[in-house]
Order: sequence, then structure tokens, then C-alpha cells
Amino acid sequence: MKNVCLLIGLIAVAGAWSLRAQTNTNAVDEILALVTTNAPAPKPQPPRQPTRIEADGPADFDLAGRRVIYHSHVRVDDPEMKLSCERLTADLPQEGGRINNIVAETNVVIDFTDDKGQTMHATGDKMVYVYSAQNGATNETVTLTGQPELDNAQGKSTGDVIVWNRTSNHLTISNPKMVFRQNLNGATTGTNPPTPMTTPLPVVKTTNYPPGTVENIDTIKQ
Amino acid sequence: MKMKNKPAGTPQRGVLAFLVLPMLAVLGFAIVATRAQQNTSGHASDFTSVEYYEPPNQQQVKSRLSGTEASPEPGGLLVVKQLKLETFDLNGKSEIIVDAPECVYDTLNGVATSPGQLQVRTGDGKFRVEGEGFLWRQTNSFLTISNHVRTVIEISPEKKA
Repeated sequence: MKNVCLLIGLIAVAGAWSLRAQTNTNAVDEILALVTTNAPAPKPQPPRQPTRIEADGPADFDLAGRRVIYHSHVRVDDPEMKLSCERLTADLPQEGGRINNIVAETNVVIDFTDDKGQTMHATGDKMVYVYSAQNGATNETVTLTGQPELDNAQGKSTGDVIVWNRTSNHLTISNPKMVFRQNLNGATTGTNPPTPMTTPLPVVKTTNYPPGTVENIDTIKQ
Repeated sequence: MKMKNKPAGTPQRGVLAFLVLPMLAVLGFAIVATRAQQNTSGHASDFTSVEYYEPPNQQQVKSRLSGTEASPEPGGLLVVKQLKLETFDLNGKSEIIVDAPECVYDTLNGVATSPGQLQVRTGDGKFRVEGEGFLWRQTNSFLTISNHVRTVIEISPEKKA
């Protein structure tokens, strides 16, 4: 009888332990399930389309100096912009690196889309692209000179130098002159709500306008 | 076919200095050939030539040149057909691969030219250039592609800060 009681007791303890273990397992499973369910699924980054450069030629590759110069009807097709010019100089990157210096000259035309999907059309005699990375921080600028013009949905901007900081997405125009684009109802074109004419272009956040330099005489009717 | 803007260079030892030695090797001047058939006129066919690094890395292959035909011409010229050239780093990793159906190499001046197609790509395939007609000056590692130059650069996506 004593042995039977001991056996029953053991079975009971074993059963309780087994149940507890099962409960714990279930709890862990539940937590894991929750974690798994709530964790945002990592978004697979789509492969970046390659950059294509085409030229009628010739193209000179200075392999010792790691520099290439394309001549005659140069076209650059990049996921972020399209560029054409007559002469393009680029520094060849080290393995695994990226091109950090590009100079486009003569009849430079650039079409690009910013982060907000706004398209811009820029022209000039010379464009200098510089990319640098230091201490984990990157800086990427596009500088247009030689009668540079920038055209977007809000209007047309000209100046002596147009600098587009692609890192901060700010545009700086020295000695700016602007022509706002307006439709017949007085509203700016595009999908943005109407804004007063005195509102500076959204893209020229960092521009300090000298008094009297902003021109608003010629209105382009859509 | 136009060949223009031939660059005037200053003598320098270049990255692609591999062209001369393998081609000379084809003619039997300094041979480390793995497979070649050469007749008495100096004509070689279906050849492969390997160049090794300097000591202490003499076991490592620096470049491998192959072609279906190589024949000497007057004036120190060498005509190579179906040229394929591949360079390797010290770890044996492929660096640059060059393909040209035909080219003429001037052994006296260290200049390779062709009116035909040229394809150059890095070992990882992320940088590819092709065009028609080329001039290669070995002295200063200067390559001119004459016409219809097409470059493809594949950049890995970056994490935005």
C-alpha cells in the first residue's frame, strides 16, 4: 500500500511536472509566435538598376590614373537621373567603391526625380558631381555653372551657381532669378495646393534671397 | 571606322602591363606557355600563355592570355585573333577580363590596336565597357576606345543614413 501511494505520488509529480513543462513550452511558443508575428518582415531591397554611360566616342581610359573621359554625345542613364553632355570625366572607383567625382561639360542637360517624386530639369555649361564619405557620414553634391537653369513644376530658376545637396536635398542658388509658373486661376501647377506667390519655391529652402533679386514678371501660363 | 584622338603619353609602367610579355611569350621569346602549337614561321595557334607574379609570389598567376591564332608581321607587328586576357590579384581573384576578336600588337612601340570590337570587364562583372576600335598604349596604361562606347556600372544599394 505504501508502495502504491508512493507510485501514485510519483506519477502525480511527474504528471504535474510534465504539464508545467508543456505549459512553459506553450508559453515560449506563444511568445515566439507573438514576436514572429509582430516583427516587421524585412523588406527585400530591390536590386538597383545599373548606371549606363554611352558615348559616340572616343573614350579615353587612363588606367594608371584611374580616370575615364567620354567624348561626343555622352548619355548617362542612372536610376536617379539622366544626363547628357558633350564631354564627361569620371574618376574610376577602387574595387567595391563608387564613383566619387564626375565632371560633365558642354550642353549639360540633367533630368532627375527627387525623393518626393518631383521631377526637375536642369541645364548648364558644366556640372560637377562630388561624393564623399567620412566617419560614416556621406556628402553628395551636384554643382551647375555656366548659365545654369533649373526647371520644375513650380517654375524656373536661374543664377550664377546652382548647388544641389543630394544628402540634405537642399538647393542653393547664388544670385537667383526666378519665374514662377502659374495657371490661369492663380494657383501653382502640379498637385500641391495653391500657394501665395510670395512663398518661395519649396526646393530653395536654403537660399538667401537678396532683396529685389527675385523676379516675378514673366508668368508662364499652362 | 574611325580611329581618332590617339593619346600622346609619357612612358610609365601601367596596370595592364601584362600585354607585352604574354604576347612575346607567344613568339617564343619568354615562354611560360601551357598549350601552344608553333610552326617554324613563328605562327602560333590555339595558345595559352601564363604570366606569374614576381617572387615571393611566383606561384601566383598574374595574367592568362589566350587566342586562336598569333602570327608575326613585318615591322615587329603581331596579329592576334580571338584574344582573351584575364588578370588576377595575389589571391587568385579575377580582376580584369579583356576580349577582342582581333588585334595588332606593335612589339616595338608597345601599342595594340584594332578596328574591331573590344570588351573589358572587371572580374565581378560590375564594371563593363565595350566599343568598336581601340588603341592601347602599354607605356602609360592608356586605352582609347574609338566608337560607340558603352559602359555599365552596377552599384550595390546603400543604406541611407
